[in-house]
Parts: sequence; structure tokens; C-alpha cells
Amino acid sequence: MRLRHRLRRDRALLLMVLPALLLLLVFHYVPLIGNAVAFQEYDPYIADNAFQAMARSPWVGFEHFRHMVDDRLFWQAVRNTLAIFLIQLTLFFPVPVVLALFVHSFARPRVRAVAQAILYLPHFFSWVLVITVFQQMFGGAGLVAQVLRDRGHEGFDLMTDPGLFKFLVTFELVWKDAGWGVIVFLAALAAVSPDLYEAAAMDGANRWRRMWHIQLPALRPVVALLLVLQVGNALTVGFEQILLQRTAVGPTASEVLDTYVWNTGLDNGNFGYGTAIGIVKGVFGLLMVFGANKAAHLMGEQGVYKR
Amino acid sequence: MTPNSPSTGSVPHSAGSGPHSPGSGPNRRAFLASAGFAVLSVAGAGPLLTACGGGGSKNEGTTTGKKLKDLLPAYVASDLVRPDIPAKNGSAAGFTEALPAAELKTAVPRRLGRGGRFTVMAPIWGNVPEQGNPYWTAMDEAAGVRVKWQNQQGDTYGQKLGAVLASSSVPDAVVVPGWELTGKIPSAIANKFADLGPYLSGDKVEKYPNLAAIPTGAWQRSVFGGKLRGLPMPAPTTPNIAPFYRADLFEKEGLEAPTSAQEFYDLCKQLNAPRSRVWACGDMTWAAWGVFGVLPEKPYYWKLVDGHLVNRYETDEYLEALEWSRKLYSAGFVHPDAKAETGSIGDLCASGKVWMYCHDLSDWYGKAAVQRVDDEKFRMEAFDYFAPDGGAPTLYARPPADMWTFISEKADERTVRDILALANFSAAPYGSKEQRLRMYGVEGVHHTLKDGVLTKNGKGNNEVFSTYEYLASPAPFVAYADLPDVTRGMVGWQQRQGAHTRKPLFHGMMIIEPTRYTELNAEFEDLEKDVVRGRKKVSDVRRAASDWKSGGGDKLRDWYRKLLDETGDSAS
Repeated sequence: MRLRHRLRRDRALLLMVLPALLLLLVFHYVPLIGNAVAFQEYDPYIADNAFQAMARSPWVGFEHFRHMVDDRLFWQAVRNTLAIFLIQLTLFFPVPVVLALFVHSFARPRVRAVAQAILYLPHFFSWVLVITVFQQMFGGAGLVAQVLRDRGHEGFDLMTDPGLFKFLVTFELVWKDAGWGVIVFLAALAAVSPDLYEAAAMDGANRWRRMWHIQLPALRPVVALLLVLQVGNALTVGFEQILLQRTAVGPTASEVLDTYVWNTGLDNGNFGYGTAIGIVKGVFGLLMVFGANKAAHLMGEQGVYKR
Repeated sequence: MTPNSPSTGSVPHSAGSGPHSPGSGPNRRAFLASAGFAVLSVAGAGPLLTACGGGGSKNEGTTTGKKLKDLLPAYVASDLVRPDIPAKNGSAAGFTEALPAAELKTAVPRRLGRGGRFTVMAPIWGNVPEQGNPYWTAMDEAAGVRVKWQNQQGDTYGQKLGAVLASSSVPDAVVVPGWELTGKIPSAIANKFADLGPYLSGDKVEKYPNLAAIPTGAWQRSVFGGKLRGLPMPAPTTPNIAPFYRADLFEKEGLEAPTSAQEFYDLCKQLNAPRSRVWACGDMTWAAWGVFGVLPEKPYYWKLVDGHLVNRYETDEYLEALEWSRKLYSAGFVHPDAKAETGSIGDLCASGKVWMYCHDLSDWYGKAAVQRVDDEKFRMEAFDYFAPDGGAPTLYARPPADMWTFISEKADERTVRDILALANFSAAPYGSKEQRLRMYGVEGVHHTLKDGVLTKNGKGNNEVFSTYEYLASPAPFVAYADLPDVTRGMVGWQQRQGAHTRKPLFHGMMIIEPTRYTELNAEFEDLEKDVVRGRKKVSDVRRAASDWKSGGGDKLRDWYRKLLDETGDSAS
């Protein structure tokens, strides 16, 4: 009786949630059934639809997971993925924060709007375009190399150097997406009451003091939240971007888990193994989120959810 | 092939960018196999479907002997117009003149289609034309069908194909290029597509005279899992990858095309000038396969040495070709964009930034057609393959068909007949009204013919794409009436290379390896690129080859040995 009463009371809200719930169910929960193929020698072509194909494919137990343990290419992908994640965490993550503080410091709204527009723009370029721009600038036949050659130096080719590749992808990511990342931080800064700045100014705090004591603490919860989410995505470090540059530097430097799944699972048709790697990746991500959230709690932040 | 160009009979392939082949080095998948003449392996009372290896699926192996003979359509030659350059050594035939519409013959006297509606999934290299455009309408009308095209970008076609075949709604007809026959796709074909034997085998093909004129070798490559399932697009058996050079610039500088590996290297040294933003060459690895006589790829990657099967990856030629290509890179002769596999090296050659590069033969016409608009003297030609120390090269024949259309198993008889009617229409030979309509659209709407020169207009370029020819094509031909010197150059090059072409083992057979070996060769493609670019050593290839042996290569060898014992040596 009580439940029915509540249902009736919240009917409008529930109806509004329904489409989203359906989407979640159809596109996130139903496909989870597909994870079963990680325990199969799955062949999607032996039957008329995926469910029949699953019913007919032979079961192999944990065979794919065992194979992962001594698959040297898999571990190479894990190493590359983690290295790129750590580099991006240290070199990419702080950039939007700094940019947000910088943009926020512009007093005139018009200047601020122009700065924001310029910063957002590269986000809307496709990876193909971003990489082409980089090739034109830093490739062996690019602008920088030509300027060097014109001055009698050796050429220079950033795009095909496996040793610098992980920094190159971070560099590309900064150029493309750091501006976009500013939005969240600017919103957090906008939420700070002007009274605080005025009070601080009255107390004689200079710009640096105000940043340290007002702006950064205002950003702290957002930073903590994004950090936790970022860590949860540690094994997802860019797919298209890396796939496009695979030949330029070779798989030893560039193969990450997502591209490896693509190559073995889809390209070579080893669907079962690809799915198994996907599961490992998902479980790892979940554990990382728990861990990072715990760390956030210990530092007195809220994290993704409360205790 | 440039998307709009008439058929060269060679395999069309990507020149744009995409996750698979960023850049425009020749698409590896267009090069999957090389093979030779349309000769059937004649084993008197050979085995039926040769499935060996034990416990294999019914689709593995190949089909030979009487079983094969019974499947193949009876060949009835057709030549409406005699080619100016008859086919020789496995080349295409060449036509250098465009006939006025009034002189065109009729290749389909009676409309065979019965007005059925069906869907066709096909790759396209270019923009997808609008449904119901005048070209498609005219084709539908003439063939008596109503096609709903599902065109997908050619560069990423394989990704779509895998998903579509795995779904429960396979289109009525699906075009599958040979380079997409990776992973589990070959067995998918045997599972999902109809047996066309009841419609085409033996004399039954007589109903479709243009299909009956398709060379028998192309049909043999269309037998999947013991049944005739594919409608082939026949291809010349001569090499498909050509080492191009700027003949006009060579002449201007008083240079000659190289005739040995050392000469090529010395020439590169002379021409390379990064300071002036000019490089000697693009990635030459694929040309190196030809120069060093490297075996083709799966499944034609075996040769007999003292009675033992030796694989491409185990041969010295393979290592030598890699070593030579690597030297070109380390000397700095290769354009940086080729190293990064980005952009179009062919365009760089056309604009004089690169002297030599290798690509699908279709670039011969493709580049000339674009460049001659502004520069009448533009001449890009391919030099002849040479052995490393000069002299005649060892080249391997390509398969006589490397692209097919398959018809869904679920299509009813009427639909199958309508699709065959359209295929028969598309396979109309050069010199027919049907062929003119297929290649150039409607006169006055899509093209004009003035002073013997056929020109597609803007509308023609936007609507008339090579999609119908994938349904089925006549015996290979090159016909560029607008650039007769290009036609002569291409066919002449094919014939000269064809003279040095030999058939690999299992030539012309459609072989489906057991699925447990599908990943065995996966590592080599990356490794080749790593080695030539100097990121790995040639000794790493030796190690990979020994891993390959112990990881299943020797077992695969036994599997092929049994196959060879049963089918006989087609190369002999």
C-alpha cells in the first residue's frame, strides 16, 4: 500500500527516468551477457544471431585467461597502457586546472569568452585531423624539420620516434582536450562567492594568497572527483589516436590494451580472447575506482560516493 | 583503382585514411595473394572436398577433381569487340578507343530481371550517391531489378563486414574483397551464403551468357566449402603492385629506370634531397617482394625445396627483401610521411616531392587523369621488375579473382535469379551498350563523347561509381580511351611482367585453413614494418619464424602437405 502510494506520488519523476533506465538496460546490461564468450571459443558466424552462436560455440573454461598469463604481447600492452596513464596523469591532468585559473583571472568577460573559444576549439577536431596537423608540424617533412634543415642542421622527426611516443600522445591530448577540461573547473570557480575575495582583499591578501586560500580549496572536491574517475579509466588511454599512429612507431611502443583487443578480437576474429581481456580490464578499473575513492575519503574528500 | 575509373581488372583499394590503413601505402589487404593462370588442377578422379588435418570443420581445405569440375559453369567465350591489345601472359586486354554509342553492341538482348527488390552491400571509395539517382535508376531499369544499395566506405569495409555477417539480417547480396578473407570470415561465407551451383553449374549458366564468359579460373576461386558460392570479379594474374617513377622527370634529367637492386640504391642516393624537400622514394617493401622473388601471402605461401614444403617466412628471399628495404630507410631515402604511413605518397610523387613509390597498378591511370588536366607532359610509369643483381625476376602469379559477390542463403529463388540477372548485366563485355551504361552512365547526363574522347561530367563523377562491377565483371580489360598511352603502358607492363610470372603452389584454388591457425601469421605484418623502419632487426624475423614453426607452423605444413598430396602440384 505504502509503495503504491509512493509510486503514484512520484509517477511523473519515474516516467522521466524510464527512458534513461531503458537505455541503460538495453545498451549496458543486456550486452553484459556477451561476456560469456570469454569462456568460449566463440564463432559468431555459425548461427543466425549472437545468442544462437553462443549456444553453439564450444566452452573452454578459463583457457583464455590462462593464455593471457603467458601472452607476451598482452603484457606489453599492459605496460604501455600503464606508462601512458601515468604520464598523462602527471602531465595532462594539472593543465586544465592551471588554464582555468588563468582564464578566470581575465577581468573582462569578452576577453574571457574569446580565450575560452580558442581553448575549446581543438576539442572538436577529429583525431585524424589532429595527427595530420602534428605530422605537418613535427613530422620528418614538417615545418620544424624544414626550418632546421634550412639552417643547416639535421632533420628531426617526432612522429616516428618510438622513445618519445608516449609523450607525443600526451602532447597531442593536451593540445586537443586541455581546453575542454577547463569547463568543469571554471564552473567550480564561478561558484565561489565574491564576498570571499572581497574579505580576503580587505585582510590584505595578494593575488597568490587569494588563489592559494580561496580558489584552490574551491577546486579541491572537483579535482578529487575527477581524479578518482580518471584512475578508474586508467586502462583506457585513447584508442583511435593510438591506432592511427601504430605503424609510425610500431606496436612495441604503441600497443595499448584497447588496440590489442581490437587487433586480436576483431581483426583476427579471436572474439573470446578479446572479451576475456575486456573483462580483466573492467575488473581492474573497478578496483582502481574503489581504491582511489578510499584514498579520497582518507584525505577528507567526498570522492564518487559517500561512505 | 580510382573510384571513378573504368575497370582495370585490378583490385580496387583504399587510398585514404582509416584505422586500418592510415595513409596510402598500398593496402596490404589488396595484396593478399598472388596467383596465376586460370588452369584447373586436373586430378582425374580427385578427392571430393579435401578436408584434412583431422577433426576439421566441413569448410576447411579446397575442392578439386571431378567434384570441382561438376561445380564450375561451362565457359562460353564472348568477344563483341576485338581488343587493340589482346591479353597475353595473364594480362588484361587493352582497348584504346571509345566507340560511338551507335556502334555499341547488345550483350543482354532480353531483360532477365523480373523486377524484384533486393539489398546489396558493397564497398565504395568515394561519396555514397543518393538513393534513386539517375544512374542507379537507369541501371535498374535496364537490368529489370530494383536494388537498394548499402554502400560502406572501402577503407573500413572489413569492420562493417564482420559485424553484418554476425547479425541475423545479412543483406541479399554482399560484396567481399579477397583481402577481407581473414580470421573467421572464410568460414562465415560457407555458413551464410547460398549455393549457386543449382543456378550456374555446368550448362545451367547458359541462361546468363555474360556470366558464362567469365574465365573458369575465376570461378574456381569462387568455390567455398565445397559449393560454388561466389560471383567473381576476374583479375589479371600479373603483378598488381607496380614500382612507379616519374618518367617525364627522369627524361628531363637524363636518367634511366633502374635495372638492379644496387642501381636502384645508387639512383636513390643521387636523387635524395631532403633540403629541397624532395625524397627518393616511398616505402618500397612491396616492390622488394617482387625484386627478391618472395612468395605471396596466405594461402600461396609455400614452395617445394627438395620435396619439402618451405614457407614464405622461412625463405632467405624474404629476409633479403626486408634487409634491402631497411637499407633504403636507414639511408634516409624514404619520405617521412611514408615512414609514418600518413598522407598519400602517390600525390607526393605526382607533385614531384617523391621520385619513386610502389602502389596498386591503378595509380597509373589515377594520377595521370588528374595531372594531365594541368600538365600535358605529365608521365608516370612503372619500371620493370628485375632480379636483385639485374636480369629476369621471379614473380608469382596472382589469383584469377580476388573479389566476389555472395547471395544470402535466405534469399528465395526469385531473388537469386534477379541478382544473377543484374550480375549478368554487369558482366557485359567492353563494346556493349550495357558496359557503357555501367561504366559511364547515361550519355548526355553523365558523360559526353566528343572526337572519340569519353568524358564523365560532374554528375557522372558524383554518381557513377564502381559498385556494379563488383557484382560480376567480364574477363579483365583496361580501357582508357581518354589516355590511350596509359592503356598501352599498363597492359604492356603487365605483359612484360607476366613473362616472368610463375604459378605458386595451390595456385587458383580457394583454400580455407583450419580456424585454429588463423592467428599464426598475425605477427609478421607488424614485424615487417618494424624491421624496415629500423625498430627491429632482421634477426628478430628469424626468431619469429622459429616461433612460428613451433607455435603451429610445422603442423600447418603437415596440413598443406596432405592437401598437396591430394590436389597435386598446380605449379608444375
